[in-house]
Amino acid sequence: MTKKWQHDYGLAARMFLTMFLLFVVYIVFIGILSYAGFGVVPIMFFAGIMLFAQYYYSDKMVLYSTGARIVSESEAPQLHGIISRLCIEADLPKPRVAIVESSIPNAFATGRSPKKAVVAVTTSLLQRLNQNELEAVLAHELTHVKNRDVMVLTIASFFSTIAFFLVRYLIFFGGGNRREGGSIMLAWLASIVVWIISSLLIRALSRYREFAADRGSAVITGHPSHLVSALLKISGAMERVPTDDLRKAEGMNAFYIIPISRSSIMALFSTHPSLEKRIAALEKISGRMEMR
Amino acid sequence: MKVLDALFGRTKLRKPKIEALFALSTAYLSMEVLGFKPSGRSGICFKPVESSRFSEMQSDLRELLKLSASETGTVCQFQTDEYNYEWVILSDDDFEDLVTTTHLISETVIEHDFEERLLCSVFAFDRVYFIYNYKEGTFYPFAPLTGRKRDGDLEFRLRSAMESELPIEKEMEKWYPLWGIPF
Repeated sequence: MTKKWQHDYGLAARMFLTMFLLFVVYIVFIGILSYAGFGVVPIMFFAGIMLFAQYYYSDKMVLYSTGARIVSESEAPQLHGIISRLCIEADLPKPRVAIVESSIPNAFATGRSPKKAVVAVTTSLLQRLNQNELEAVLAHELTHVKNRDVMVLTIASFFSTIAFFLVRYLIFFGGGNRREGGSIMLAWLASIVVWIISSLLIRALSRYREFAADRGSAVITGHPSHLVSALLKISGAMERVPTDDLRKAEGMNAFYIIPISRSSIMALFSTHPSLEKRIAALEKISGRMEMR
Repeated sequence: MKVLDALFGRTKLRKPKIEALFALSTAYLSMEVLGFKPSGRSGICFKPVESSRFSEMQSDLRELLKLSASETGTVCQFQTDEYNYEWVILSDDDFEDLVTTTHLISETVIEHDFEERLLCSVFAFDRVYFIYNYKEGTFYPFAPLTGRKRDGDLEFRLRSAMESELPIEKEMEKWYPLWGIPF
């Protein structure tokens, strides 16, 4: 007896198509690399170890790089209280809760599994949002945890990372005999093409995961409008923040609820959908909730 | 299916189970023997949503509670807590009536198609609450102390003492603290 408004089959179909295309691109890439005489297995082995470490230690790495501090129940009672209730609702183990000292209102979730998850918010977010809006943002982050987005995006970027390293370092392997030079050139070109295409696909996938997390927030809280007002507040505040904080925060974009952009990057390269599209999607959910 | 749901980012909430609630209507006797008297109060906690159908359900609930009050003498009261969750708080010295009315309210919420909004129900005893998690269909003890601390020893003791009579939540990480219980 699941309700219609809780599902978006179009979104699931687009996600499937994106993942399928990524898969095809990667298979072709492996084919070209082996044709060019590269040992695909050792490359995969090293990339595998690297990415696995990145995935396995995602919580520690992100906490370290953002300066987030884990807070206890007594330090942040309101935050813990909201998260506890959302976790009962979403059937998730309670994650660790962290706070980042920052003038940028933002939130993120990370960790390799729901049991190892961390949900973090910035001090500015806590100051600007009211309780309902905070709850909506936390539900969005918990949906990322529930959907295992860290794992999905790590796996999706596996060969893309390999391609990126080949693009950067393959050039140093040149200078052997001519036949080898030709195959290195082929592998290098293939790597560039794969890297570009897969980056675009991964970003599309990341945008779809954002829509899914917005939808999840609406399902968990039952209040799509709270997320809308939170998104508006956060993005409005972001246009006025000082720039030196931005530089520090830029690497973290894919994990944030709203990315930080100094210039208007092309939508195609963005890890997040535009605010207008997110709000439109949430309003549609809101309308369908009322109608059912 | 859980894997597919995660892969495609589908958020599904689990359906509530309410039958296990009745386990408490006999188990409370053992609690009494252990020295934890029921305080005669229970509460159903749910999250109100922005929908006209939800307000309809609320007025239906009020009607129903008036009706059952005349039959069982259960007194009820609506209250919104500090987290904007709504509570139906029941008072009745007859513990079995308390359980039956709690079950009735849960059933009504489900019938009105708002089953995913049911968060939990809570039964108060001396120094400790038993929280019923609808998603799991299990109980767990919650003994709050001052300063947002829990009396872990007491909770563990109650688990071992009550395990045979109550479906106690096996995964300890699902013993969610619930601060701000309004009774």
